[in-house]
Amino acid sequence: MDIKEIQNLIKFVAKSGASEVKLEMDDIKITIKTGSDSDTTIVHQVPAQMPQQVIAAPAAETPAAPAAASEPGAPAASDDSKYITIKSPIIGTFYRKPSPDKPLFVEVGQTIAEGDVLCIIEAMKLFNEIESEVSGKIVKILVDDSSPVEFDQPLFLVDPS
Amino acid sequence: MHLIKLNAIGSTNSYLKHLNATESIADYTAVIAENQTEGRGQMGTIWNVENSKNLTFSVFKDLSEFQFESAFYISMVAALSVYRTLDLFSIPKLNIKWPNDILSENKKICGILIENVIKQNTVNASVIGIGLNVNQNNFDNLPQASSLKLVTGKTYDLNELAITIINQLKEYFLLLSDNKLNVIKNEYESYLFRKNKPSTFKDAEGVMFSGFIKGVSETGNLQVLLEDEILKEFDMKTITLLY
Repeated sequence: MDIKEIQNLIKFVAKSGASEVKLEMDDIKITIKTGSDSDTTIVHQVPAQMPQQVIAAPAAETPAAPAAASEPGAPAASDDSKYITIKSPIIGTFYRKPSPDKPLFVEVGQTIAEGDVLCIIEAMKLFNEIESEVSGKIVKILVDDSSPVEFDQPLFLVDPS
Repeated sequence: MHLIKLNAIGSTNSYLKHLNATESIADYTAVIAENQTEGRGQMGTIWNVENSKNLTFSVFKDLSEFQFESAFYISMVAALSVYRTLDLFSIPKLNIKWPNDILSENKKICGILIENVIKQNTVNASVIGIGLNVNQNNFDNLPQASSLKLVTGKTYDLNELAITIINQLKEYFLLLSDNKLNVIKNEYESYLFRKNKPSTFKDAEGVMFSGFIKGVSETGNLQVLLEDEILKEFDMKTITLLY
């Protein structure tokens, strides 16, 4: 769900006259309150830092939106354990594209096969293409493009299932 | 020797990498471009050449049977192969400017861009891209660039140069497979530009300082002797040699 959709939703709820709307779907949980005593509109998108359309959040972990929103890190951490972490084999600079004008190697949500190139790590003018040893779906990219990485630093989370 | 010649190609490195991904190719397969249109230097920089005057080619090397500590040895092997070739062609005053540019009379005549394929945390194969300025006479707005012809006045055969470089690569990779790491590193260090001479550097913050280049570490860091006999190692990103 992108910002635009959320904005439209807020407008829709505000017009409808409802004081509170809770919406749950897949990994997203949104609560919109349009209290008459205040003009504030509160939007919780839970878990905010998780990539969308990838993880079906267990329903048991999200009993109420405000509660879950107050500790968004907790469910994410327990979910990560079933993913495979791809780490950097060397020290260098992490690049997500073969060159600045080219498309990204991989994006979140993309299905990858063993042997696919995931990124380039540049060290001492050596450009090292890192191939995937697993197949699955990219759940999370943990490093920003063009930033330095250490040996063994986690780069990607992959859902092997 | 497998030589693939192309009239026009975006980048010889990209072509070879694509070839390697789609079929199995022989060791030392080389792609020579008559006219390379999308030559690349470091991330985001370009390598531009005048049509047909210079040597732009890439060589494929299978490294799946190799065991070595640091991928920087590939860089040293490539630089040494070009250096030795140019020496055989009697190009004067050669140096390797860390990490792998080749200079003649203090001007850059060759750039090397190496791309490795990493599988299971080790280098599986390498594509070595070499751009050698050969018969080009003009380098407008590039005061630190030169060519073989500008240095010696002679015109050179591009194929002959390419074949000699490939043969040198074979010899140096043989040293690497025999684990003669010290031989490679010592020779590389002996050709380093401004070695043991007082030199000025600029760090990442733009601050200038002086020191003496002493050598390189296994991983390719430059070792510089600073004031008070302090030997410090520098990463490529953190230091620029001014010359």
